[in-house]
Amino acid sequence: MAPRLQILRHVVGAAQQPLYQPVAPFLYPCLLQQRRSASILNTLSDNKGSYNKRIRVGRGPSSGYGKTSGRGHKGQKQHGKVPAGFNGGQTPDWVVHGVRGFKNRFAAQLSPVNLNKIQYWINAGRLDPSQPITLKELSSSRCIHGVRRDGVKLLARGKEELTTPINIIVSRASAEAISAVEKAGGTVTTRYYTGFAIEKIKQGLMDPIHSLQSKIVLAPGTKEGAIAAADALAEEGRRYRYRLPDPSSRKALEYYRDSAHRGYLSHTVAEGQGPSLFFRTPGVTRGGTKTGATTTKRTDSNRLW
Amino acid sequence: MATEAPLPATTPSTPPPAPTPGFKPQPNPFLQTATLTTHAFPSMEPSSFVAYPSTHLLLPLRKDILHRAVIFEGDMSRQGTASTKWRSEIHGSGHKIRPQKGSGKARLGDKKSPMLRGGGVAFGPKPRDFSTGLPKKIYHLAWRTALSYRYRKGELLLIDGQADITGVHEDSLERYTRDLLRHNRFGHADGRTLFVTLERREGLFRALEGERMGREARALEVWDVDVKDLLELGRVVVEREALEWVLEEHQEDLAPGVRLGAWGRMMEGLERASEGGAVGDVTMSA
Repeated sequence: MAPRLQILRHVVGAAQQPLYQPVAPFLYPCLLQQRRSASILNTLSDNKGSYNKRIRVGRGPSSGYGKTSGRGHKGQKQHGKVPAGFNGGQTPDWVVHGVRGFKNRFAAQLSPVNLNKIQYWINAGRLDPSQPITLKELSSSRCIHGVRRDGVKLLARGKEELTTPINIIVSRASAEAISAVEKAGGTVTTRYYTGFAIEKIKQGLMDPIHSLQSKIVLAPGTKEGAIAAADALAEEGRRYRYRLPDPSSRKALEYYRDSAHRGYLSHTVAEGQGPSLFFRTPGVTRGGTKTGATTTKRTDSNRLW
Repeated sequence: MATEAPLPATTPSTPPPAPTPGFKPQPNPFLQTATLTTHAFPSMEPSSFVAYPSTHLLLPLRKDILHRAVIFEGDMSRQGTASTKWRSEIHGSGHKIRPQKGSGKARLGDKKSPMLRGGGVAFGPKPRDFSTGLPKKIYHLAWRTALSYRYRKGELLLIDGQADITGVHEDSLERYTRDLLRHNRFGHADGRTLFVTLERREGLFRALEGERMGREARALEVWDVDVKDLLELGRVVVEREALEWVLEEHQEDLAPGVRLGAWGRMMEGLERASEGGAVGDVTMSA
């Protein structure tokens, strides 16, 4: 290794991380003799599941594709090709009648939960209103049966039945449900979940409430504060194996930046700004200053007629 | 939208408070820099520090992406020129060798049959292209991941200026280089070294092209390097300009705001803002 400039190293010491010593230092002389530089090349591999093993047909019965090679018995399908969508010579149904409707692959898949059901569950002692209610509680108390890919949406059916103040954290909430919960003295927070996150939250391997962007560490901006913040993050890492993700798509970001949705990112929106990441707030330039009377005055003085 | 609820009426009508004088925005905690020491060549004396953004030299190790890049390069570099003649391409007539019946021997057609000596090859190779595809963004990421891996292990050494050996007689060039490598623990016993230069440096390159010098170290021009080269040997000694050439060449997957040029300008601005700070002796790359 090249010689290092020790004095300068101390100057920029803050930027360098302390050395991690995995074994007792008195063992170092023995270890150095064994040290050899191995290339990383022979340990490289793609993720498990990135490749499918090729199906080898006609290679014996134990392969599962042996005798008939997966083509079944007799006929054109065994020996050659049949056109895709061929219906034995009969005009296919979709040709005669056409295709109706379409499937929206981008529709959000949400499990609905209504306010009267939550109140009923609280009355029955199946939900604890003193604690935040998340999809984990809703799911494990069987208030909802399974959580769909995009999470839970809070709806307002039987809103007049809700009397207990609750703090509920869901993926989405209807306007009526929000106002009903807040009228009862509770709070609604909407936050972002992914299918993977929902799976891990249900297993207790992920924090159901806090992600990096929602975690607010109240620590001073000093070295001790940074250590405290790092400790807090490390503590969370000890409790949960996975970290709750934050949104990255514009659509999701805009939804959770909106205070009308009680989005968990709404505190990041500056005063007087809208949640949209595309449309600028009217009358505000990039520098943040209001445009107004001065420009109109100039046009007045420059008028030719 | 139907799901919008009006905010509670507690919204204050007063304008937001003006920022207090003397208030400094806190530095972005996610903004990290990778600091490298530059060295003089061939003395390998440290000369200064250079900082690069974490998006370029502090990426997490992604073995899958490195694997895909190495396979991609390997496939691309296969010549695929293996060629054999099928029975139709073999010189010879289609004349029947012997009668179909009555000879007491096997039935045979022409002498070009793959069954016969001198006949064609039944399923032999033909020239083909083995190259596979890899999305450009992944390949660019692989480059920076490989460099980050080297940086993290302390195996990325930066040379200020040209990594060339000058003033040594042609006959002693190899011996000089061998001593240089041994003294710096760069040679065969220490896992070999890859030198990456911006252009061909005649002294260094000629020394390493000598007999049995390949087992000590390799020297490559920067355009000639690929991801596998970066991972193969014990360490990578790279000219600063060559490293920046690589980083600029392989940052297309990043947003324009976090590319090297924009980052350099931003860091200059930060430095000017905190004039006289501890980062005074850290030179920023352009």
